[in-house]
Amino acid sequence: MANEIWVFIERTAHGDMAGVSKELLGKARELADASGMKVGALILGAGVGDLANVAFSYGADTAYVVDDGALAQYTTDGYVGAAAALAKKYQPALILTGASFQMRDFSAALAAELDTGVAADSTNVSIDNGVVSAVRSSHGGNVINTLAFAPGKTAVVSVRKQSFPEPQANPGRSGAVVTEAMPGVPMRAKVVSVAPKQGAVNLADAAIIVSGGRGLGSPENYYKLIPPLAEAVGGAYGASRAIVDAGWVPYEHQVGQTGKTVSPKLYMAVGISGAIQHLAGMRSSRTIVAINKDPDAPIFRVATYGVVGDANEIVPLLTEEIKKRTGK
Amino acid sequence: MHIVVCMKQVPRDNSVKINADLTINADGIEQIMNLFDEYAVEEALQWNEKLGGKVTVLSIGPEDWKEQIRRALAMGATDSLLLSDAAFTNLDTFGAARVAAAAIKKLGDVDLVLCGRNSTDDETAAFAPALARLLGWTQLTYVGKVVTLESGKIVAERHLEEVVETVEASLPAVVTVVKGINEPRYPSLLRIRKVAKVEIPTWSAADLGLSAADLTPALNLVNRVPPPPRPKGEVIEGKDAAEKVARLVDKLMEAQVI
Repeated sequence: MANEIWVFIERTAHGDMAGVSKELLGKARELADASGMKVGALILGAGVGDLANVAFSYGADTAYVVDDGALAQYTTDGYVGAAAALAKKYQPALILTGASFQMRDFSAALAAELDTGVAADSTNVSIDNGVVSAVRSSHGGNVINTLAFAPGKTAVVSVRKQSFPEPQANPGRSGAVVTEAMPGVPMRAKVVSVAPKQGAVNLADAAIIVSGGRGLGSPENYYKLIPPLAEAVGGAYGASRAIVDAGWVPYEHQVGQTGKTVSPKLYMAVGISGAIQHLAGMRSSRTIVAINKDPDAPIFRVATYGVVGDANEIVPLLTEEIKKRTGK
Repeated sequence: MHIVVCMKQVPRDNSVKINADLTINADGIEQIMNLFDEYAVEEALQWNEKLGGKVTVLSIGPEDWKEQIRRALAMGATDSLLLSDAAFTNLDTFGAARVAAAAIKKLGDVDLVLCGRNSTDDETAAFAPALARLLGWTQLTYVGKVVTLESGKIVAERHLEEVVETVEASLPAVVTVVKGINEPRYPSLLRIRKVAKVEIPTWSAADLGLSAADLTPALNLVNRVPPPPRPKGEVIEGKDAAEKVARLVDKLMEAQVI
């Protein structure tokens, strides 16, 4: 094993380095400094521009680059093929990626290509005496697992965003660029088109989420109460599985075991009883407000602040009060 | 066309406990078909109705886990396969993919493998990608619509966080599906009765030519704990709704969350 920790560099739609990659470079730097290792930035794409220098400024020592037209669009075959060839040649001890859908696709396939498993959607990673460990939750957040990789193989860990702070950039830092050619791998899938998703709501990125449930009584009440409150607090709006399955609200908005897992700084649950499947998706939110008629509803057990009462009476008052007090 | 659906049995909810040996204790929780796998079964059945051929539902688990395989048969799957062996008890995701890959290779004539996007218990979303690499096939994950499926070719929409990618790929391939790709059917009582006695073929590690080394977990579980308890909350009291609301907004502004 080489003495290196690699970070897969993801880009935003505008081509800049994604925040999660900066967070991971910061963590990799910290781990490397503590154990006498180096940090590599894994940069794949077509026309990667200045990304190597950006990676150096966030803590990378070396950039491993494959810049090839075959990598213009993400495909599992192209990206895993290129990354696996580099990893087999340079043998990093650890490869860190983000945990977006695309990165879950990439990291799991890359790990298998390197004959190991992936620690998926982790929230922490450490290296002790050369052994890489990762912490990840399972069972809807009810179980926190610590997993250790067998030494002698490249460990692959995908990391949930905002698990680590974004480091300060140091534009003066420099590093070495290692450029490799695209390996000859079969390219069996082709991206025909990419379109913005209709009604996309990135709940995972929202700092505040206001969710509604069956206790609201009807879809009319949901739309009358929940989006205006979300707007007043500058947040996104979510929903319980019950009302998504009932067709009140599109699936995109569903929070919970079979919807999205979120951990905003403020989560407001309105008319949601708090089935364990819902709690699975939001229990790690920093502050939780529950508004429900039933004082025995399980949602109150995880709530920071609970208000017992009829949502149809409370929410309009709350929306007005917040607008008044925050001057929005 | 021969479609294999990989199906996992999971606890209905995740209120599981942790045993002293760090295994998961789901005693007293009903076992169901992983919700995302229901969509995979339904998608396989719909294409089978158009194209003909076989739909084999495959699962890894102990002998008494045949109930969910029967449910898939009652939905309309034509064939089934249980991979069962005492040596499979503590498989991790990569090990499970190895077992399924060995079985799919042994089946031999498979065009497409469908899986749910992830299991709702382990939530790794890594089984299908590992299976694809072990089979040497390509993969399409998070598919929200299969546009066309024909001999040797699939066109599908991958529903990512903010974009929809339309991808064309050659078969064989491994595809994972998201909730909402279809509306899974309920098995009819007639079909439930019809499949109640169907024999479900079972293959062991030896049948699959797998050694103990193949089944060793890639990741060692070194600790497993429940999440830290949430700090105790407070109920906002007040003489009427307006007073409760005013006090709640005070608290939220003090905590600087709004």
